[in-house]
Amino acid sequence: MMRSLDRLFERSTRALAQRTSRRSLLASLGQILTGAALLPLLPVDRGSRALGAETQPKPLGPENCQYWKYCAIDGYLCACCGGSTSSCPPGSAPSPITWIGTCHNPDDGRDYIVSYNDCCGKTSCGNCECNRNEGEKPVYRPSRNNDLNWCMANADANYHCSVSVILGVAEK
Amino acid sequence: MRSACLLSAALLCPVLTAQVRAVPPPLPAEHLTVESLPPRTPHWVYVYDEAFANEIDSRVHLFDGDSYRRLGQIDGGFYTSVIVSPDGATTAVAATYFARGGHGARTDVVEFTDNSTLAVTREIVLPPKRAQTGPSLFNIAYSADARFLYAAYMTPAASFGVLDPAQGKVLGEIDTAGCVLVIPSGPNRVSSLCESGRLLTVTLDAQGREASRAMSEPFFDADRDPVFVQGIPTARGYAFLSFLGEVHEIDFSGAQPAFAPSWSLVSAAEKGHWRPGAMQVGAIHRGLGRLYVPMHEGGEGTHKDGGTEMWVFDLASHRRLARWPLKARGLSRVIAVQVSQDAAPIVFAATEKADLAVFDALTGRLKHVEKQIGQTPWMLLNP
Repeated sequence: MMRSLDRLFERSTRALAQRTSRRSLLASLGQILTGAALLPLLPVDRGSRALGAETQPKPLGPENCQYWKYCAIDGYLCACCGGSTSSCPPGSAPSPITWIGTCHNPDDGRDYIVSYNDCCGKTSCGNCECNRNEGEKPVYRPSRNNDLNWCMANADANYHCSVSVILGVAEK
Repeated sequence: MRSACLLSAALLCPVLTAQVRAVPPPLPAEHLTVESLPPRTPHWVYVYDEAFANEIDSRVHLFDGDSYRRLGQIDGGFYTSVIVSPDGATTAVAATYFARGGHGARTDVVEFTDNSTLAVTREIVLPPKRAQTGPSLFNIAYSADARFLYAAYMTPAASFGVLDPAQGKVLGEIDTAGCVLVIPSGPNRVSSLCESGRLLTVTLDAQGREASRAMSEPFFDADRDPVFVQGIPTARGYAFLSFLGEVHEIDFSGAQPAFAPSWSLVSAAEKGHWRPGAMQVGAIHRGLGRLYVPMHEGGEGTHKDGGTEMWVFDLASHRRLARWPLKARGLSRVIAVQVSQDAAPIVFAATEKADLAVFDALTGRLKHVEKQIGQTPWMLLNP
């Protein structure tokens, strides 16, 4: 009985081998493996403009778009890219020019003037997209605009991510 | 042993059945070709995909609103600006490329694509100062006769380049005293938006040099109620919407811009509650005089939030004709809108989930949803 089954499966395997090239078998396996690798990515909505704002129930730390310092950031949070709220990721360079905002810190009840610098010289970080626009103005008021690529004056002008650096307490 | 034979027969049965089935003739050999575009129609739309997660790879998708097929692609480079020529025959893309992909020496360039083949036919290298900003019709713009192409510069000092597309060269640069972008009118006028709420209008001579300039009176207050820079073409100029929903229609057909009294998209009760918001915040069918605006409920700072409804207005009476709810139709917020200009118009609406919806512009009937047209479709252009 077992020998018969062995022969049967041997014949089936040989027949399969005759019908199927090694390359196509590898290709099929590759598709399966690629599919498996992609599966964990599927729920991520990469088209959303307000990914961090709408879908991430994390605590309000520096890797969260709703963190108080980010009240007018439109870009990727450097804190999620190897940097922090006030430091650029390794190998990138801060933009010397910037836009300015005022954000309210609920922890101490103060308003702070913050500088939204971009970090430059690498392509988009792509992690922790954040699109908030409190007090943001169109490009005819560049000092309040977050659409401009503020890496524009850097030697390596590509945009990587954005930080929010405290400049001081806003006087009322 | 007998049972093993029966088992073998059962397993082989489908194989034998397949072998006796008639075998179709082999498929003929194929020849690899390049597809030709069908004739251009008013229902084509150019979808600018900023590719925000990997911005060096923006692109423009050409989509047909009748067959619901993607017809082709135009490459974009980093944080691109796009415009279609007045005759619809050419797409101009102002892009930045870095020598090593994500880094390296910066080259700013305008690339011209033949819209009948989608092949790049010419380029003009710019000084490395083009405005790298959100999409509008005024980042690069053609003069009405296509003699000039204007390219907005920001370093962040503001100016613009005057280009000769036929000769493939930059003619010169004109300082705009802090006013930004290039709003074209007639064969030789360029207006720019100023922080003071005014328009600076520069008139050019035949060689593309500055002949004169004039500053308008303010038509908006950047502190109280700024206007979106995404102006919408009207029959005689452009309409600019404000964050709170005021409509500023400006006639650009004369030597200097003329401002019609503004009117509101929202009632007194709706003001500050409902407001326009998107990356491309409105579209106008110029023949019908209908304005389509993505609207949402929200407060200050929500001006880039997309619309949860599309509101339709009659430009002559300022009356709201319809509200199209979007969520009930399975759509996420609308971040860009466009309408075809023909007698059977369709409205295109790109959503924050990167779907492209096609509506009957007259009835609001949702005709089609093209899922995931790209990554971040921020502007839609007509041929």
